[in-house]
Amino acid sequence: MSSFHRGLTAKTALIAAAALVFLPALGLAQSSTQTSNAQAKPAPSTSSEKGERWLHVRVICTDGKGDTVRVNVPLELAEKVLPAVNHDRLHNGKVRIDSSDINDVDLNALMEAIRSAKDGEYVTVQGNDNDVRVAKEGNHLMIHVVDKNGPKKSQVEVKVPMKVVEALLSAGKDELDLVAALHALGAQGDVELVSVKDSENTVKVWLDSKNVAD
Amino acid sequence: MMLLAKAALGVSGALVAAGAYTFHEGVIRVDVDEFRAGGAHVHLWVPAAAVPMTMHFVPKHHLCDAASHAREFLPVAHALFQELKNFPDAEFVEVKDGEQHVQIRTHGGKLQIDVDDPDEKVHVMVPLSTVDDVVGQLEDSAPGA
Repeated sequence: MSSFHRGLTAKTALIAAAALVFLPALGLAQSSTQTSNAQAKPAPSTSSEKGERWLHVRVICTDGKGDTVRVNVPLELAEKVLPAVNHDRLHNGKVRIDSSDINDVDLNALMEAIRSAKDGEYVTVQGNDNDVRVAKEGNHLMIHVVDKNGPKKSQVEVKVPMKVVEALLSAGKDELDLVAALHALGAQGDVELVSVKDSENTVKVWLDSKNVAD
Repeated sequence: MMLLAKAALGVSGALVAAGAYTFHEGVIRVDVDEFRAGGAHVHLWVPAAAVPMTMHFVPKHHLCDAASHAREFLPVAHALFQELKNFPDAEFVEVKDGEQHVQIRTHGGKLQIDVDDPDEKVHVMVPLSTVDDVVGQLEDSAPGA
């Protein structure tokens, strides 16, 4: 190899080496820019990409300070994680219930009676302190409670699809199958499940396909 | 000159390979600022790949101890972080309480926790795969695993 070519090869190798050394620094700089941009504005997409169903919980404190709690959980995630939780009465996505907790009421028999019954109001209690209304409307079980004399004057509305209640009770007499209920819930359309309003807070639990709360 | 160039190329190549391996999983970022006299200001950048590697050097009994304390939660954490990787970026929890603001979200395969308080700011970003690796190693270290 001539001295000219040898010098050229050596210079090329040195330049390549220098470039290789500085490339990671450049990459790291870009990475840090992306990271700080990400921290500045995470911008989650509003609509889920694979048609996932999201359960949202929103609590707004109505005391004027604007305190809020927002929780957004993909149902599929909850379905996969719940069976891993083994604590107290919750095992493999099922909650064990003592018959004494429900005064020996056969929940499955009760559910079967409600499922086969026509739409209508099943329980209506109008008392001095509370109004309670339990009804079946369409394919939903509705529970409406108004606390008339309490300090917070709360109003609770629960709307549960019958399929979800059926799935919840599908595990057997003394168990509630939460995973099956979540799975059934995922097959439902957008629905507001729980709404609580009182003088201090507004709570809303609902299901839709967006990965951000309103 | 030629020998020097070859040596430089070899060293640089090794550095690049090491750098690429170290940063391929991203960076763990921790920023803590306490706004009071003598308050701490911690700004930490750690290559995410270094954490599971470093855990191999932690004495086995320490890992075993940590794993036994967290035993109940490890399967949940493992399932959670493994599944989180399959979901798009999302804000999972947001709490606003007066001037305090807490957010837990995922962004670009990282778990991001931001706490903004008049007295302190804490920002943590950790790649989900790193958390999953660490949880997996703790599970392996649990007594009876």
